[in-house]
Amino acid sequence: MNKDKKVLLAPLDPVHDIGLKIMNRALKENGYETVLLPPDYQPEEILKAALDNEVGAVLISRTLGYGVAELLSKFIDQAEAVGLREKVKIAIGGMGIRVELAQELGYDAGFGPGTVPEQVIAFIEDREPVLDLSGAIKAKKDITTGYDYAYANKRIEELLDQIAEKTMTWAADKTTSAIQRAELRRQMLELPEGKEREEARKKYVELSDEKIRNFYENGTMPPYTRPLAPQEMADLEKYVETTKSQMRMKKLQKTDKNPTVFIQYGTGCPFMDIAHAKVGESWGADGVVHFDPSWNARAEGFLEGVLTHEQDGTIITWENLQKIKESLEPSTLWQVRAHRGLNTPETVLLAGKAGADMTKINVAYGSLGGGTDPARLTVDAIQCMKYAKEFGMPFDVVTNEELCGVPAAKAFAGMLTTAHIAIKMGCRPVLQPLFVYSPEVMITGEMEDNYVDFNAGKIMALRSIINAPIWPGAPIGFLTQTEDRVQSSLSTAMHGALASSLGVEAISIASSDEAYSGGPIAGPSRIDTLTALKESFRFFGSASIKPTEQAAVIAEKIVNGIIDTLEKALEYETFPVALYAGVYGSTAEGAYPGRGGKGTVVTK
Amino acid sequence: MIMETCLKKVMDAVDIETFFVCKDEEEGRELALALLEKFGLKDTDIVFIEHSGPGARVRARGYLYRAGDQYAWLEGEN
Repeated sequence: MNKDKKVLLAPLDPVHDIGLKIMNRALKENGYETVLLPPDYQPEEILKAALDNEVGAVLISRTLGYGVAELLSKFIDQAEAVGLREKVKIAIGGMGIRVELAQELGYDAGFGPGTVPEQVIAFIEDREPVLDLSGAIKAKKDITTGYDYAYANKRIEELLDQIAEKTMTWAADKTTSAIQRAELRRQMLELPEGKEREEARKKYVELSDEKIRNFYENGTMPPYTRPLAPQEMADLEKYVETTKSQMRMKKLQKTDKNPTVFIQYGTGCPFMDIAHAKVGESWGADGVVHFDPSWNARAEGFLEGVLTHEQDGTIITWENLQKIKESLEPSTLWQVRAHRGLNTPETVLLAGKAGADMTKINVAYGSLGGGTDPARLTVDAIQCMKYAKEFGMPFDVVTNEELCGVPAAKAFAGMLTTAHIAIKMGCRPVLQPLFVYSPEVMITGEMEDNYVDFNAGKIMALRSIINAPIWPGAPIGFLTQTEDRVQSSLSTAMHGALASSLGVEAISIASSDEAYSGGPIAGPSRIDTLTALKESFRFFGSASIKPTEQAAVIAEKIVNGIIDTLEKALEYETFPVALYAGVYGSTAEGAYPGRGGKGTVVTK
Repeated sequence: MIMETCLKKVMDAVDIETFFVCKDEEEGRELALALLEKFGLKDTDIVFIEHSGPGARVRARGYLYRAGDQYAWLEGEN
């Protein structure tokens, strides 16, 4: 139909006509002359208006209800009887209307909820709609952009500087088998096939644990682990190709103020991880975080090949990481964690070479709650930072020792110490406070009234110290969520709204079955929390959640606690020595210096 | 379409959420697990159950696949 003819818009409905009014405006803006009838007209009156105005199209709207299908069907019969049906296009729109129903009732088209004006105009003009997908096209974001790491709290900067200096000087002539293995792995990946590469591989195996040596020398797989078969690999390739061609990614953020959203994967199987990541991307996740199994981190040395694993956490191998990376959309941020265990330098190296956007480097949590020896993790972390810098990967520094019972102030002191070493090395760390119902607040009762003030106080404290990006996690609302789908989704959405309100750069979110410990996370549970979060961003828009005056009190208390912790730490020789001594969290508080890799730091 | 075909297309697990008119949580649990079994699901569990007054709100789950399994929806791609 061309624009010489008018379009009649008629609500065949006693009340509702909003949809038609929106459509009327869009048609007018597109150069159409329209006739908009008010609600509560009889079919005969509508048909008369169509004939009188010699329209080219009739758009009927109606909310579906009891007996309505008959009414709509009858309208088509009446249109036929007056000779209108053959001459004009007739479409129906409204709540409950589906394409199939419209066809069944004899209409040329049906438009249900979510219809955009372009779809209706395209129908009138006999063409395919040209949909604006710009909202779904995402750009990859660097969450460290715009932060200069300038300290507003000079006392804290001075303390961190001294601790970092002493620690970096101490570590300068130290090395570990993990650092050596990382360099050997680099040779194994970069050298051409031949004697030199074989030599590097041999040395790598010599520097590994027995379990890992058995894999390389005898082909013995660790328990619950198997290589994926060639047919499975071919099937995966096809699956990824098909899925990528179907991808339409939702955007969670309503305003620029809303944070970047990460989900975590680590089902044990890289294929299932890919499936979950694609679900996450489709429903709006901006980034995905790789979780590895703890045994994988605790052994000296990594395995090789595309390997699946029947338990939590997906094994880090060069091939697994490559497969996962290949499956992701170009805009998706990908983080591989290297925050605890005995392979952290190799993890960052592999992540960087595989194209990861971010990693996770840590000393305090990995030492106090992650089971790794503080000295070993410190030396390895410095090497990790060198790789992170080489590959241009920012990394977050977690404070998960809070989950053990360490007070937020001490955990923050540990995070800032690690971050400060990183800043001095030219890296771009991201601070990761927990948004959590922690043991500390359970005891002190500081979250008795609400979940807002303590979390807000944490962000206010960090903001008063340093201009650095903040990424609460991981996941937000941890220990507030139950196995109830609605409760856990709502809790995530509320914490997400709070994070947005506080203007943080990113958040990590849980699935709606994160609190369920009887089995793996299921794909649909990821959609629950992403959808809930999107709704919270939509609900609040640019509006904010206002903490009570208590938040500022908490912030001040945290800042004072950080200063107190750092002053005590400075009395010790280095950062790891202070960690052993319990300055950053004591055994009474639930922090135990790890023993993994104890005594393995050597002088070069 | 037969049930087996539908289940093959499930990514990992089927959650069934409903409200059972029952006397206590235990009865609700039994009913939920029995329902999952009727659907042909074997690896089943209760994710969430809360009984109050007239009955129990339940979120019951049957895993079709766990990590490391061979996924029929993947095989179907070739």
